[in-house]
Amino acid sequence: MLNKDVSKWKLNKKAIFYISVLILLLIELFPIILVFLTSFKSQIDIFNANPFSAFMPTLDNYKEVLIDRTFLNNLKHSMIIALVTTTISVVFGVMASYSFARFNFKGDQKIGLAILASRMIPPITLSVPLFLLMRKVALLDTYFGLILAHVSFIMPYVIWMTLPFFQGIPKAYEEAALIDGCSRFGAFYKIFVPLVAPGLVVSATFSFLFSWNDFLYALILAGSELKTAPIVVSGFIGQFGPKWGSMTAAGSLILIPIFIFALILQKYIISGLAVGGID
Amino acid sequence: MIKKLKNTIEGSLIKWGFLEKKDDIIPYAFLAPALIILGGILFFPLVYSFVLSFFNWNMTQSGGAEFVFLDNFIKLFGNGAFWHSVRLQVLFVAISVFLELLIGLGVAMLLNHNFAGEHVVRALLLLPVFILPVVSGLTFRFMYDPQYGAINWLIGLFGFNPVPFLSKSTFAFVAIIIQDVWRMWPFMFMILYASLSSLPESPYEAAAISGATKWQVFRHVTLPMLKPSIVIAVILRIVNALKAFSEIYVMTNGGPGDATSIMSIFIYKNAFDFYEMGYSAAASYVLVAIALAFSIYLVKTQFEF
Repeated sequence: MLNKDVSKWKLNKKAIFYISVLILLLIELFPIILVFLTSFKSQIDIFNANPFSAFMPTLDNYKEVLIDRTFLNNLKHSMIIALVTTTISVVFGVMASYSFARFNFKGDQKIGLAILASRMIPPITLSVPLFLLMRKVALLDTYFGLILAHVSFIMPYVIWMTLPFFQGIPKAYEEAALIDGCSRFGAFYKIFVPLVAPGLVVSATFSFLFSWNDFLYALILAGSELKTAPIVVSGFIGQFGPKWGSMTAAGSLILIPIFIFALILQKYIISGLAVGGID
Repeated sequence: MIKKLKNTIEGSLIKWGFLEKKDDIIPYAFLAPALIILGGILFFPLVYSFVLSFFNWNMTQSGGAEFVFLDNFIKLFGNGAFWHSVRLQVLFVAISVFLELLIGLGVAMLLNHNFAGEHVVRALLLLPVFILPVVSGLTFRFMYDPQYGAINWLIGLFGFNPVPFLSKSTFAFVAIIIQDVWRMWPFMFMILYASLSSLPESPYEAAAISGATKWQVFRHVTLPMLKPSIVIAVILRIVNALKAFSEIYVMTNGGPGDATSIMSIFIYKNAFDFYEMGYSAAASYVLVAIALAFSIYLVKTQFEF
């Protein structure tokens, strides 16, 4: 009798736990679900306050966003900028990080601190001088200008994130290669880089995300001719009354690659977040 | 070829006294590309803007920049709107980060045991962290709408009148905090959860033997062991919250009035609406000072060179 009660109570406890987890997930994911749902709603259904009322799903919003090639072009801009930014940041960032992790040299501490501390500087601070300087050298509204601006905060991130990881890699392999007559760069490129490849994938993923998500620099340093996707999405809520349908459809399209990354790399992302934070 | 070049450069650097011996150049060679790039697009602009903060320069007027020394800072510290933005910034960061810590810690404790589907739950909870701040801000603006917003629909279910979230000062400030807490508590959760699941067993066994209550265990065993992670997570979040801009820009643009005009919005408006470049550079350096105060501590505790 008593035994039965105990097991029943345990079952209840389990049920309560799962129900609370479910409620938590529902609340936390609600805005995301809403964006996806709304993107399939017609204008009339969007203005029905009850988000769960039945509606006729429609692809009109996606058609409207994709019908002229403008938004696809914006996605392309974002993609190119993110890819080039990631490449530059990871390649040179990793070399710098390697230098800090492996050598003691004059000024290493000062340079390292300066680069890492720069991660803390709010981007709005850098945006004022970058705007003025890029105006002077005609880099406003160019791929190159925006890529440079993104590298300015993403490369320090790469260094920040990879440094503790590199310091934990034993030196023995490279030393063996050096003794075998390999050059220092050869040891780095042929021995060290393959060894840390998983870490590089994670830092590349984050680099891509940060560039893809950037709004501030895209707004200030570009935006009239060169528009990235986040700028366009916010533009749907512009002067002519909010177009929530287009906003959510375009928003869904730029969220998809991010969520795919986040789910695939889940295991690594936790350690990445714990070290480097998020921008 | 490269070897020859290396030898030449190295030789002259040694001759001029920059280097002591051969191969001292190697670490600098690895560092050089990053340093050149960051020098040009990060360190030089920062110095440029620091110098600019001593100049009066309105870009809409002809005549260029005029050296005024500390005038911008004096004007800034005498400006009620600036102090208002500082106060909002501090409140925004303090309240958001505090709530995120509470929720993050609570959920980490709740989920801190093995259960079916824990990986899926964790992955799903983390999704908001990756959402674009702009999309998050716009979505909340949509949900806050008094006529067709989902949040007001929910409030209506409980029999209350719709709340004009983004058009009333206090509500608007609460609204931007809710957005931030929604998006970022999972970040706190993730770090604390990872740390919780790697805590050693023995202190808990000792506590169980001495008959401690659940609260006592939490207060005197879990919390002290968790403290280093809490400190790191909180500082990372503070620094991150000081960067907040785009979500607020698209939600309220600092309004109504200047009810949500945190420092980044204040700086943005002065720079790109009024084109007061020197003045906004000065304001941005106050923000930098606040951010650096936290970061120096973080950098020093987390890294060794």
